[in-house]
Amino acid sequence: MSKPNDLVQGTLDLLLLKILALEPLHGWAISLRLTSISGDVLQVSEGSLYPALHKLEQEGWITAEWKQTENNRRAKFYSLTRLGRKQLESEAANWQRLSTAISHVVQLSEA
Amino acid sequence: MRMEHWWFTARLRLRSMLRRNRVERELDEELQFHLERKIEEGIARGLSPREARYAAMRAMDGLEQRKEEMRDMRRIRWLTDFLDDAQYAVRSLRRTPGLTAFVAITLALGIGMTSAIFSMVDALIFRPYPVPHPSGVVTLVGTTHDSSFNYFSYREYLDIRSQTKSYDGVIANANMEAVGFSAEPGATPRVKGGMMVSGNYFHVLGVEPRLGRGFREDEDQAPGRNAVVVLGPDFWKHEFGGDASVLGRTVRLNGTEFTVIGVAPETFPGMQIFARPDFYMPLAMARVFSTNRQKNFFEDRDDRELNVSARLKPGATLEQAQNELAVLAKNLESEYPKFNRGRGTAVHTQFEMRTRAGNVEWKFSVIFMILALAVLLVACTNVAGLLLSRARTRTREIAIRLAIGAGRSRLIRLLLTEILILASLGGLAGIAIAYGVVEWFHANEAIVVNTELPASLPFQIDLRVLLASVGLALLSALLCGLAPALQSTRVDLVNGLKAADVDVPGRKRLWGRNVLVVAQVAMSLMLLTASLLMVRGFQHGVLEGTVLAKDHLLMASFDPRLVQYDEAQTQRFYKLLAERVRDARGVQSEALMQNVPLGEQGFEGVAFVPDGFQMPRDRENFHSTMNTVDKGYFETLGIPILRGRGFLESDSADGPRVAIVNEQFAKHYWPGADAVGKHIRLDSAAGTPVEIVGVAQTIKYQLTFEKPMDFVYMPLAQHPVPRMFLMLRSSGDPLQLVKQVKDVVRTLDPNLPMLQTRAYADFYLNRAVKGPAVGIDLVISMGVVGLLLAIAGLYGLVAYNVSRRTREIGIRMALGAARGDVLRLVMGKGFVLVGMGTVFGLAMGFAVEQLMNSMLFNVGGVDIVAYVIVVPSLFVVTMLAAYLPARRAARIAPTQALRYE
Repeated sequence: MSKPNDLVQGTLDLLLLKILALEPLHGWAISLRLTSISGDVLQVSEGSLYPALHKLEQEGWITAEWKQTENNRRAKFYSLTRLGRKQLESEAANWQRLSTAISHVVQLSEA
Repeated sequence: MRMEHWWFTARLRLRSMLRRNRVERELDEELQFHLERKIEEGIARGLSPREARYAAMRAMDGLEQRKEEMRDMRRIRWLTDFLDDAQYAVRSLRRTPGLTAFVAITLALGIGMTSAIFSMVDALIFRPYPVPHPSGVVTLVGTTHDSSFNYFSYREYLDIRSQTKSYDGVIANANMEAVGFSAEPGATPRVKGGMMVSGNYFHVLGVEPRLGRGFREDEDQAPGRNAVVVLGPDFWKHEFGGDASVLGRTVRLNGTEFTVIGVAPETFPGMQIFARPDFYMPLAMARVFSTNRQKNFFEDRDDRELNVSARLKPGATLEQAQNELAVLAKNLESEYPKFNRGRGTAVHTQFEMRTRAGNVEWKFSVIFMILALAVLLVACTNVAGLLLSRARTRTREIAIRLAIGAGRSRLIRLLLTEILILASLGGLAGIAIAYGVVEWFHANEAIVVNTELPASLPFQIDLRVLLASVGLALLSALLCGLAPALQSTRVDLVNGLKAADVDVPGRKRLWGRNVLVVAQVAMSLMLLTASLLMVRGFQHGVLEGTVLAKDHLLMASFDPRLVQYDEAQTQRFYKLLAERVRDARGVQSEALMQNVPLGEQGFEGVAFVPDGFQMPRDRENFHSTMNTVDKGYFETLGIPILRGRGFLESDSADGPRVAIVNEQFAKHYWPGADAVGKHIRLDSAAGTPVEIVGVAQTIKYQLTFEKPMDFVYMPLAQHPVPRMFLMLRSSGDPLQLVKQVKDVVRTLDPNLPMLQTRAYADFYLNRAVKGPAVGIDLVISMGVVGLLLAIAGLYGLVAYNVSRRTREIGIRMALGAARGDVLRLVMGKGFVLVGMGTVFGLAMGFAVEQLMNSMLFNVGGVDIVAYVIVVPSLFVVTMLAAYLPARRAARIAPTQALRYE
């Protein structure tokens, strides 16, 4: 199966939802965006990107549409659905909670 | 939210299912787009196109795996896999059309036979009452020393109704086999079948009339007050053309005017399996229909004619109901010791009623079901055998699939899909076969249900039977597909890849096929034995019944109640009838009887105490079946009087009471002594004494295969009954007498219908030979199908062995083996298998024979002749099936065989 990436389980979904919340993008653009936003900290294999996108699509969180790119090529553009927006909200909140908790713990051990 | 989510994803899944190709194309295109951008980027960074392409692919981490992962995301993997498997299976099955057809036909025979039998068993045993919530309807019965399924009297019914609390309603009904019906006052009445029911009958059962209304409770309270009738749906259509204006019309039943108040719905053909009442009358009108004139239906506690059922209250258990009724029975026993001594009660469900010991339909159902399942098993083993050998020729294919990474469970699924498709084909054809068998039943309906009354075979291919067929198809797919699938995917990869058809060392793999052949031979031996036993059992019964001189007899029946004769008029009519037909030309002798041997109605019963017989403390009397006959009976029917005399003119109404008993009766009560001159007392030790004046030979009274039973004959003058048969012995063709008899009847009363006029030999043939023959034909066809399948199975196995060992045989022959040696080598195996199958088959045959003997025929021991016929013929036929391929092996030319493959 897929090579384990360095992302915490489930965070790839959150990242993708967040990126698509800004604007509809095709897969290539998403992968560029991922690298540019997070720099080298978050390594996302291009291979695991598409299965993840398909999963989100099957869950009904994002929807796909074939459109022309600026270079006049046909590409599959993904955009967030209403369900996806709700999902993003709840996952983001979850993430906030989790990261706060973890940073608390980390600070505790240092003190 | 949940709903919305579901709606959304369902649409996507549907899309990935229905537009598979498009989805696949889009997947390719999307990834392609990504790769191209990546390559462009690589080139921009200064890589050569080749390097850029390579880098792009590497970044993808395996393009094909990613695609698979994406397909998995669609969550319809199992379905697309199944469709792929199905497509593949159809293709590979089409490559071997002969095998496919053979398997499908084999399964069709098995499934079809079993489904047809199931439709029969379902109608006879399992199909619920045609009323809402049928499982709540239970039957209440009285129990005595002689019978566990006794009716209740009207008085007892009222007691049960008022003193029980477990039910939502207690109903009673009595079948009236012959009611004279005329739509117009002047018309000659015709005989129809009616049902007397309690006023709450339709209401408690939950049956809403199709037209008009059902009975009201008060309509069966005052005897003779409410002459109302509800028509059965079929009768309404045939007799009144489905005319709605029939409501309020007046019809005559047994000469009394009844008002039509309603029509029962089509969904309610009645509570019985065969009989469908033409109309329903309230119990309060019983006097119009009473058969027993010596008893008062409304008053006499021992006039037990009512079948009592009830609807259990929700929450009430059968046990509660039983206990409650048992208490009531005890009370009745102490209150009316004369009528209720030793009488118990029981409450039974529909299933219990239908599967009670002694129910012929249940017995036949069990035997037929066992045989049908045996046919299905033979079919399945046959198919399993074929699939096993087919799987072996695919060893290499399977090995390759395993080698390139197919999971074993995935392969098993593929193989099971194949057999599932075969089973579906077989199932479809099987339903067609079942349909044919049921049609054939209906074509023989007139023979099986040999009666003038409305009745039909309730066998049909309905949803229940179709579901059963589908279930059987699935079951057989599993039965014959699983083992081959498991075995053939357990392949030694190294050897499997090297040769097309490897024989994995050892006998283990053939072991399965051998077991299958043994099972086939055993099962078909059992089937053949069963069919032969059935044939011989019935023949035996028919031959035994030949003490009767059946030829040259004309029968006709009369029922003066149809024209409202009283008892004196009835007696006068029969007396004159007998006298006048005696003088007709061509009549050698004449007889009157209440019932003919092997007649359709049951015989009347008689309660008695043999004189000088010490009765057990807890019982009042014994029971026997009886017939009322006149003095011409024994001579006309040719039943020998073994001791004493027949009836005489002097056995008149005012003469001393006399009776004739059969040999069985005489031996039963006076073993070793002469019954002639002994007395029996009717009803109780204080009853009327009746002298036994003769002993007649025991014949078959109701069924050709019944056990010898006690029987009493009473003279007509001393035990008058209204409905009688006239039997005439002619010198020539009995049907030539019909006109003369009709003339005689017309001079006596032009309005009296003459019923069931036919040659007795013809009637007897239908009852004793043709009716059972329908069942026998069915059993024989199962036996033949089983045998054919077993032959095919054995032939297949030996032929397969030969083809597999062609090279070995060639080598042997090249080294000097003679043809005989080869023949022996190949046949030896078949011989052992058939031998083992025969041993097992004999054991199963004995078991079935025991079952059939105990259930149907009154013959003990083993029918050696049947086995002497079946075993050698089966042996010869199966050995022939083994010989043909063996001979081919013996003719193999060594040079050719060594080049083989």
